[in-house]
Amino acid sequence: MRILSKAAAAGAIFALAFGSAALAQDTISIGVQVPTTGSEATYGQDMANAVAIAQDEINKAGGVLGKQLSMVIGDSACDPQQSVNAASKLVSQGVVGVVGGYCSGATLPTLKIYGDANVPFVITASNSTKLIPANPGNAFMINSTGDEQATKAVDFLSGKGVKTLAIVNEGDAYSQDLANLARDGWTKAGNTVSAFETVNKGEQDYSAIVTAIKAANPDAVFWTAYYADGGLLIRQLRQAGYQGIIAVGDGSNSAKLFDIAGKAAEGVFAFSNPTAEFLPAAKSFIETYKAKFNADPGPYAPLTYDGMQLLAWAINKAGSTDAAAVIAALKSADNQEWLAGPISFTDKNTLARSNFIVLEGKGGAWTRAAE
Amino acid sequence: MSVFDIITHQLVNGLVLGSFYALVALGYTMIFGVIKLLNFAHGDLYMVGGFIGFLALSAISSVVGGDWPGVFVAMFLSMIAVGFLGVVIERVAYHPMLAAPRLSILITALAVSLVLQNTVLGLTGGQYQPFRSDLGFGGINLGSLFIQYNQMVLVGTAAILMIALELFVTRTQYGRAMRAVSIDKDMCQLMGINVPSVIAVTFFIGSALAAAAGTMAGAYYGSIWYFMGFLIGLKAFTAAVIGGIGSIPGAMLGGLILGLLEAFGTQIPGIGSEWKDVFSFAVLILVLVFKPTGLLGQSEQERM
Repeated sequence: MRILSKAAAAGAIFALAFGSAALAQDTISIGVQVPTTGSEATYGQDMANAVAIAQDEINKAGGVLGKQLSMVIGDSACDPQQSVNAASKLVSQGVVGVVGGYCSGATLPTLKIYGDANVPFVITASNSTKLIPANPGNAFMINSTGDEQATKAVDFLSGKGVKTLAIVNEGDAYSQDLANLARDGWTKAGNTVSAFETVNKGEQDYSAIVTAIKAANPDAVFWTAYYADGGLLIRQLRQAGYQGIIAVGDGSNSAKLFDIAGKAAEGVFAFSNPTAEFLPAAKSFIETYKAKFNADPGPYAPLTYDGMQLLAWAINKAGSTDAAAVIAALKSADNQEWLAGPISFTDKNTLARSNFIVLEGKGGAWTRAAE
Repeated sequence: MSVFDIITHQLVNGLVLGSFYALVALGYTMIFGVIKLLNFAHGDLYMVGGFIGFLALSAISSVVGGDWPGVFVAMFLSMIAVGFLGVVIERVAYHPMLAAPRLSILITALAVSLVLQNTVLGLTGGQYQPFRSDLGFGGINLGSLFIQYNQMVLVGTAAILMIALELFVTRTQYGRAMRAVSIDKDMCQLMGINVPSVIAVTFFIGSALAAAAGTMAGAYYGSIWYFMGFLIGLKAFTAAVIGGIGSIPGAMLGGLILGLLEAFGTQIPGIGSEWKDVFSFAVLILVLVFKPTGLLGQSEQERM
């Protein structure tokens, strides 16, 4: 009995060792850096789902360079320290490329890690302009950068007849960046910024800021950070009787905003990167997503799906998983049509066009606003 | 808005915020009083209180409705549950450590905080939970000042709880025992006071007050999540120190002062709201420089 179980154990170990060696030969592993825990876990899970769909489709069509793709998730938790750990772990596991990146503050410190390890990184959501100078050359941003969102916000709000604007951010890289860009753009357009405020993340009571905003009496309020605190701020603004326009940045473009803000979110405008429901090409993607995960694709699902497809395309074009060849292939992307529209890159590896649209809260959901 | 309007509005905002800080600060200060422990898990009891209040309200709202009566029943249930949780934490984690060096028990408190946070993180998946209640947005206009009914109920409830606590501590046998234990535990033991049971009652009351604040905050602000206790725990600790840690009236005063400082700190002309914490914590430093024991604190207490 004893000998038998020993033999079985040895066999199992052998099979395991042999199996994993075989696995390493047959698959190309791609890292997925997204927050799957923490305050932004909703977005992260959604992005991971999108990558899984792309991976399935690629594998069914024969894989890349004749090998199957496998994905390894690194949880960035929307936190700079955690994301550094996640990135180091992905690198040590030998991924040939990384897709994802949500929360610019958490993505920023990982650029150096992937740069040093020379791993191509397709950033599908993070869009702070602070990422651009920190890019060692191996990262590619397929979401329009924050400055293009700010331009869109300034144009749209001016078009609505807004003259005075209050801008509120949360003090992190992403929201502060967007707030500063919006302030610069707004004053350059000859309008007035009547209040520029910062709140602490997770501080539930924003009544003091609300009073300060009401005292400044702006035509519109622009919230540049995420939905959880944005929902509370919007609710408290409306509770205190603020009547003006409220607009939010793409970090607040979530259905959960309506859960938290309730009726107060009606009529709120959101600037959004292209979400699946507003993309004509994404019909079948939405169906697949719903069938597989029993949920609607979130705001970054199409871009993240594109990120995985783009990386697979680049590896195929390069003809190998050699980092320099893949990076060169990514650089050569020439406006091919993807789910969320054409992709080609500037010489700084950012998307060469603006992809923002405007949404409006109606009946507890986002609808495309007239622009 | 005139300057006067802004001042009165910020006064109301500061009072509401200060009531939450004061309720949580009371627990810090009472527990410090009896076992000289900075209970860093206290903010997390506030968070757990919010979640239990939410579960209770979901369970009973079909019977009593989701307006204030429902919230009060939920708050009461949550206070009892979290009160017992506090007692269990004391028994399991702190009681065996009472004779150990101060630093060990402090680290235990940090560990309890992480255990509570991560348990709720695991159970909720880190998601924000909308706290559905039917609290209206109504209020009264006093001239140009608009005060929500919710704000009045919140401040009123906090005041009632604090008055009840003050009466308990000053007018009852147990309250007297609690004060005696905070002065000299060993002597109390010799005089026949059941010290472990006094400590348990203190933990029960402190935790229940945090749960009351957590449930009211959830209902009033409309969402709860596993990390909501961190910031308020830090602020309430600050409030307890401003007031004089170990002093119950000090915690109430410190909470209100910190709430008002933050509200008015937002409004300082010329500098933005990102400086409001610099302002309120600069006041903390000044208070400690000129009165190291806090505003109402006594000097003989041992400090960490």
